[in-house]
Amino acid sequence: MDRRNFLKTAAGTGVLAATGGLAMPALSQGAAAKTLRFVPQANLANFDPIWGTQYVVRNAAALVWDTLYGIDSKFQPQRQMVEGEEVSADGLTWTFKLRSGLKFHDGTPVLAKDVVQSLKRWQARDPMGLMIKAIENDLSAVDDRSWTWKLKQPFPKMLLALAKNNAPCSFIMPERIAKTDPFTQITEYVGSGPMKFARNEWVPGAKAVFEKFADYVPRSEKADWLAGGKNILVDRVEWVIIPDAATAAAALQSGEVDWWETPLSDLVPVLKAHKDINVDIGDPLGNIGAFRMNHLHPPFNNLKVRQAVLTAMNQEDFMRSIVGDDDKLWKPLPGFFTPGTPLYTEAGGDMLKMKNVAAAKKLIAESGYNGEPVVCVVAQDMSATKSMGDVTAELLKSIGLKVDFVATDWGTVGARRAQKTPPGQGGWSMFHTWHAGADCINPSSYTAIRANGDKAWFGWPDVPAVEAEVTNWFNAKDQAEEKAAMDRLNKAAVENVVYAPTGFYLGYQAWRKNVTGVTSGPLPFFWNVAKG
Amino acid sequence: MTAPAAPLPLADEIGAAAKPPRRSYLRKHPSVAIGGFLLLLMIFIAVFAPLLFTVDPTAIATSRRTRVPSELYWFGTDMLGRDIYSRVVYGARVSLIVGFSVAILSSVIGLAIGLFSGFVRWADGIVMRVIDGMMSIPPILLAIALMALTRGSVGNVILAITVAEIPRVARLVRSVVLSLREQPYVEAAISNGARVPRIIIKHILPNTIAPMTVQATYICASAMIIEAILSFIGAGVPPATPSWGNIMAEGRALWQVRPHIVFFPALFLSITVLAVNLLGDGLRDSLDPRLAKSI
Amino acid sequence: MLAFIVRRIITTIPVMAFVALFVFSLLYIAPGDPAAVIAGDQASPADVERIRQSLGLDRPYLVRFGEWFFRVLQGDLGTSIFTSLPVTQLIAQRIEPTLSLMVLTLILAVSIAVPLGVIAAWKAGTWVDRAVVGFAVFGFSVPVFVIGYLLAYVFALKLDWVPVQGYTPIAQGIWPWFKNLILPSITLGTVYIALIARITRATMLEVLQQDYVRTAQAKGVSNRDVLFLHSLKNAAVPVVTIIGIGVALLIGGAVVTESVFAIPGLGRLTLDAILRRDYPVIQGVVLIFSFVYVLVNLAVDLIYTLVDPRIRY
Repeated sequence: MDRRNFLKTAAGTGVLAATGGLAMPALSQGAAAKTLRFVPQANLANFDPIWGTQYVVRNAAALVWDTLYGIDSKFQPQRQMVEGEEVSADGLTWTFKLRSGLKFHDGTPVLAKDVVQSLKRWQARDPMGLMIKAIENDLSAVDDRSWTWKLKQPFPKMLLALAKNNAPCSFIMPERIAKTDPFTQITEYVGSGPMKFARNEWVPGAKAVFEKFADYVPRSEKADWLAGGKNILVDRVEWVIIPDAATAAAALQSGEVDWWETPLSDLVPVLKAHKDINVDIGDPLGNIGAFRMNHLHPPFNNLKVRQAVLTAMNQEDFMRSIVGDDDKLWKPLPGFFTPGTPLYTEAGGDMLKMKNVAAAKKLIAESGYNGEPVVCVVAQDMSATKSMGDVTAELLKSIGLKVDFVATDWGTVGARRAQKTPPGQGGWSMFHTWHAGADCINPSSYTAIRANGDKAWFGWPDVPAVEAEVTNWFNAKDQAEEKAAMDRLNKAAVENVVYAPTGFYLGYQAWRKNVTGVTSGPLPFFWNVAKG
Repeated sequence: MTAPAAPLPLADEIGAAAKPPRRSYLRKHPSVAIGGFLLLLMIFIAVFAPLLFTVDPTAIATSRRTRVPSELYWFGTDMLGRDIYSRVVYGARVSLIVGFSVAILSSVIGLAIGLFSGFVRWADGIVMRVIDGMMSIPPILLAIALMALTRGSVGNVILAITVAEIPRVARLVRSVVLSLREQPYVEAAISNGARVPRIIIKHILPNTIAPMTVQATYICASAMIIEAILSFIGAGVPPATPSWGNIMAEGRALWQVRPHIVFFPALFLSITVLAVNLLGDGLRDSLDPRLAKSI
Repeated sequence: MLAFIVRRIITTIPVMAFVALFVFSLLYIAPGDPAAVIAGDQASPADVERIRQSLGLDRPYLVRFGEWFFRVLQGDLGTSIFTSLPVTQLIAQRIEPTLSLMVLTLILAVSIAVPLGVIAAWKAGTWVDRAVVGFAVFGFSVPVFVIGYLLAYVFALKLDWVPVQGYTPIAQGIWPWFKNLILPSITLGTVYIALIARITRATMLEVLQQDYVRTAQAKGVSNRDVLFLHSLKNAAVPVVTIIGIGVALLIGGAVVTESVFAIPGLGRLTLDAILRRDYPVIQGVVLIFSFVYVLVNLAVDLIYTLVDPRIRY
């Protein structure tokens, strides 16, 4: 019987192996030498950078689709696909011209009509895009290489909007693809970026493959983040998704992968000690840890309770729970904006600077809190939210708040946080998340700082003072005005506890020493990376 | 659809039979003795956890993260600086509660379904198809799906695993009922007009208790393992609750550098599951020698 | 015989229908929202609602179930919400690793466990027997991921004999395929080896007491022949049964094993899909798993008649 059974199953495997084999082309040994294997922060589950705005989609998209402008390490927009631009004296008419010789992966040239259609799709989904749309008169192609954008009022941050690396980025796609409804996923992944997406090798949850695009014309300037020449020095980039951090560390040590985007900080000492591995800071802009309180319902509709939480909080606990013992990896953050960036401010941040449980308890007593449970929704499948959730639970208990801890997954948090109903009826009081530091350098892409009540991000803070300063920043004429607006904004946001920042943290990246050209940036840059 | 899930045979059935009888029960069934002792030990640990030199198992202190075992922290500390010894000791509560609750609940519900299906013939077809359907969904997948449906709590973990284990009991009970119905004395009772409840109490239950007890121990063991796996993949009891699965889940990433975080809860879990398995084997041999041989 | 097969196949239809209804309903009432996951962190509530509408998630339960069920009957499992790829394609991509893992585990388990069980029964009461029984109980009591990490640490990282993670399609050669799978198979197989060894030992002990075996022994048939020709054949029925039942165990274990060893198989696909609420994928995969389970058990029933002439349908 064993033999029969065996033969039957063996035959079955053979057939399936044959069909499965078609989907996974064999790799010759020669090709392996020029393949860069990269372990990304998360799974590439979909690949429409306008429709889905997860960071991992943006990072992959930056390889396949090019942008008109690219941001450099000084946060300045630099020309990328664009040869030049002109703005009329009244600031109302923008005229852009494309570089010559740009081609899509299907061989067709990049034309102004492709750009116009791509911008229209992007506009519908992007906060800055929507602002432009609101003041737009006309966006249309002039000829094959140029187009104009006519506005009703000036928009000084135009180039920033087209260069920013915050998702969704204004990636340029062929017109036929960009015609897809912005709320429907595209099914064809053709761009004009330095690498092509090997769609037939894509196994969502396991692997994504990019191949060098031979017809890409890099700029001649030196590469700096998303600006400058994107020279691809390998034939293939393979994204290998390894969900288990211990396994990813082992794979890097054994040389099965070349580059790990987000190594767990507790494993970094092992990697640093390894003779063939380099370790350095990944994204210098880091992340801001956060938990948000629901401003609509008790107990957090009461300002004093929110302030009590902030007063009792020790950011070090939160940060160590995420980054471990490495002091280089975190900073206390008495404010809301990314440390080390031009507009960073600590104005009005005293409440966040020291932990004072007694003062917090006093605030709770004054607030008239009468035992409403805090429904604390925590995603267990994200290591940062999971760790912070444990710390928060202890924090809330320490000041006498009743905690109803809902351990769940990110999918459920995503759905539940959208509920405005009271916590007892399917709503929530508190959830944890984090914001990429790159999104928090100014209010332009910083949805989480907005406090326009119903229209604000989950938690729905309603603080007119914060909104007024956001407007002031957009209208600011110089950096001094911007800075003043930000100081006032920060103060108002802390005092009213728009949300609770739990600190600023950085992460490492690690790569094999035979890989050169890895840089620190808000996303992994594959250009100018070579494998020896 | 196939032969009913047989209780897993084990250990010393023949070895014991070959030896001369007239030994004390525990000497005759050493696996009951060993299993029982270990299980009692775990129950003792769970019940008296606060007295066993433990500290607050949820107290976070980020200044003493990931310490290795020492005089101060017997089993070391985890990534949030919590004392692993205390967490492991308190964790015994979760594992035992989950194991016992699932065993009892699925036995009771499975018994009811099995009896119903065995006696109410017209319903048998439908019930068994539903049971087959439930059995064909892998228990872990079913539990993960149910956990996604609700939220992480000990009660929900128990519920999810129970739902997955009920079919095994129901099938077992049904097969016992069906085989007993053919027995002359049961047939006689039925033809004499005895009422169903009476038949169940007099004839069916006494014959079901033994195989069910044995089955329940295996379910108990499997429930503890599934609880650990659920927590391990992040779909189990809430993280603040110390459970062996949770401790291991938190330590899994540090396996290479701090193996003790996974080692201690794994050790306790293994010992407990081992104890329950040994107890089940021994009970089967002693309660029902026929069953032991018949597989 | 043919009538039996037909009857058995027909009885699986309501089973599969129940599974389909059950899984669909379960996910329908689940609280997670795929639209929210897709939209990402910076999306506004209005955007989330737009996406939900475009995915058809706002339509009534019966409409969605009816539509889905009708398409399943035609062999179309729908389209993944996240990847916008057909579910059948996603499953096809993933089926080779999982099937390889399961088949290799099965081969490994049977070829290790059956001899172990036979030897234990043959040497009943000796230390060999005790060691086998001890291993069997132990194998049952250690969580699968602990075994996985241990093996990976020793054989992949320290000794560097095999890769730590990943999967190589069998089309690229048996040896690389095998090297990638050996650790996961042993990991997943430990429980299975324990289970089968136990069953084999117990049945063999019983068979060895039977008269015809004693007769054969008395007639001078060699020990080896008695064990492997006469006894094992009769012990086959329960062993095959356990293999059938254990398939569910294998599938469950595969979820964990695949995530520890980063194998792009169906188990991880399921887990990812559940965490992301990719309903069509979850439904498709569970349906496939149930179908495999039903098929294997059908095969098991048929094998009975082959190995044991006494069983007739």
